[in-house]
Amino acid sequence: MTDKIAPSPVVADAADLNELLGLADKPESLGRQAWNRFRRHKLAIVGSAMLLFLVASFWIGEFLSPYEIGETNVIDRKQGPSLSHPFGTDALGRDYFVRAMYGGQFSIRIALLTAVLATTLGTLVGAVSGYFAGWVDAVSNFVINVLLSVPLILVLIIFGREYGASPTAIAFLIAAISWTRAGRLVRAQVLQLKESEFVQAARAAGAGPGRIIFRHLLPNLVGTLLVEITLLAGTAIILESTLSFLGLGVQAPATTLGTLIDESAGNIDTAPWEVLIPGAIVTLIILSFNFIGDALRDALDPKSDSE
Amino acid sequence: MFAFALRRLLASIPILFVATFGVFWATASVTNPLDALATCNTCDQTAYDRIIDLYELDKPIPTRYLSWLGDVATGDFGTATSQGERPVSEIFWERGRNTMLLALPAFALLMVFGVAAGTYSALRQYSAGDYAVTSMSYFGLAMPTFFFGLLLQVVMAIWFPRWTGWKPFWSSGMHLESFGQYLSSVTLPVLTLMFVLLAGDSRFIRAAVLDIKSADHIRTARAKGLSESKVIRRHIFRNAMIPAVTVWSLNASALFGGSLITETVFSWPGFGRLIIDGINAADLDVVMIVTVTIALLVVIMNLLADIAYGFLDPRVRYD
Repeated sequence: MTDKIAPSPVVADAADLNELLGLADKPESLGRQAWNRFRRHKLAIVGSAMLLFLVASFWIGEFLSPYEIGETNVIDRKQGPSLSHPFGTDALGRDYFVRAMYGGQFSIRIALLTAVLATTLGTLVGAVSGYFAGWVDAVSNFVINVLLSVPLILVLIIFGREYGASPTAIAFLIAAISWTRAGRLVRAQVLQLKESEFVQAARAAGAGPGRIIFRHLLPNLVGTLLVEITLLAGTAIILESTLSFLGLGVQAPATTLGTLIDESAGNIDTAPWEVLIPGAIVTLIILSFNFIGDALRDALDPKSDSE
Repeated sequence: MFAFALRRLLASIPILFVATFGVFWATASVTNPLDALATCNTCDQTAYDRIIDLYELDKPIPTRYLSWLGDVATGDFGTATSQGERPVSEIFWERGRNTMLLALPAFALLMVFGVAAGTYSALRQYSAGDYAVTSMSYFGLAMPTFFFGLLLQVVMAIWFPRWTGWKPFWSSGMHLESFGQYLSSVTLPVLTLMFVLLAGDSRFIRAAVLDIKSADHIRTARAKGLSESKVIRRHIFRNAMIPAVTVWSLNASALFGGSLITETVFSWPGFGRLIIDGINAADLDVVMIVTVTIALLVVIMNLLADIAYGFLDPRVRYD
């Protein structure tokens, strides 16, 4: 697309010619190319910076603040944001900044665990059903269709009552219902790739299905999977905070940003910052995950322009 | 066409059975109707026996599912214990109507605005309008429904009247006394439900239109001298309707999930509140009728989408 027309110079020797044709440079690997494109992507920079900043403050913020997580101070209760309490205080006089940072830690942990679990499950199911086709494929398609015909939020509510109290259980629960998109993506790609020459070559060389899937097919899907993990992390935070908002989320002492919103939703008129702050943080986290995911997709797309 | 529709419907029957059994099994295994008696001091063993007998708690879950299926086959959807012992079918029509009063306008607006915003921003790629649509959709995708709803509620229904002395919207509840009352109570929930889905829809349609507008047949249409508006209306727009139909059929289940949350935020007496109350009260009959409705809705929407492809895309044939 961006081929520049070389200003026809007087070619002095072969070395110059090679340089002109770009043959002197070592060709860039796909990973290096992707990294360079990612670095130049504006959304990627904004997203990564925002996410890094948020994650760093979640884990460091606690130590910068003079207040402890469970420390109550009834005299200072229900205060608006001030210098001594940057995010104000809640109904028990607890410092809201420390609580929000603490909640952020749990939200991020749940999001990442969910994303990794769901992507792993989706990849395994998708790869196996795409590669073997036949009845394995039929069964996994059936399971996916069943999951798609039941509203996920309903399943979450049903199981959330029983298992919602633990952050790890929530991650497993959300992963168990949100792996279908990754499964379909991987299946479609494996279906395409398994007929390609390099897979036939591997099969001719005597590689078994396991080796072909893990050594030849899945490495080709690393890009797709990275994108999927980032986007799923955002989805996980939305689902987790929704579950918490419905009163079915993690229980004290654990707190997530969703729980904070649920606790303060009733006081939104008198203490709006208690909803606005965790809500804005949730939105920013998801926004930065989506930015990174989109930028990764652009960067890893071999068809996209390298500039 | 008819044979195709019939085949598709038949193929979805096993899916419906497995989906309803899954929800039945899940609900029955995590909820217990006997919990309601835990705080009852005057209840003796006969009360327990009555509940055990009523819900067949002494039988395994698959047996209970089969007997529920048998009742449903004869048109008996059970009694809603969480709703004052009223028949489930009666509550179903009442709550279903309320959810439709919220979800249908949201869906209609979603279709119009999704296509409008997506087409506009694709045809004017990289213009200020495109950037506005794109940033709005980024925010729509990043904002949880309940947070957007809470914001809209406090700003438009609580603070706005305080600032201006004029209260155009109800902050919560459904008001059907007159059409004006309906509008002023439904506006904020509809906006909430629409906004979050609009983000995904408009982005998808934008990508589809971008794909189509650089296709060869569009260039041919321009080259043969068609006016720009005809190129857009007859060639780009019609082709973009195919992916739009896909998105709309996927919206069915998302609209339900969204309305469940929206109804909670705005205290709208629809399916959403019904099912949450039902699960909390271990009211299996209520949970099941909502599940069946949604699963059927998803199946029907997918079928309608497949039939629509046949009209929109002359290459699709159902023989």
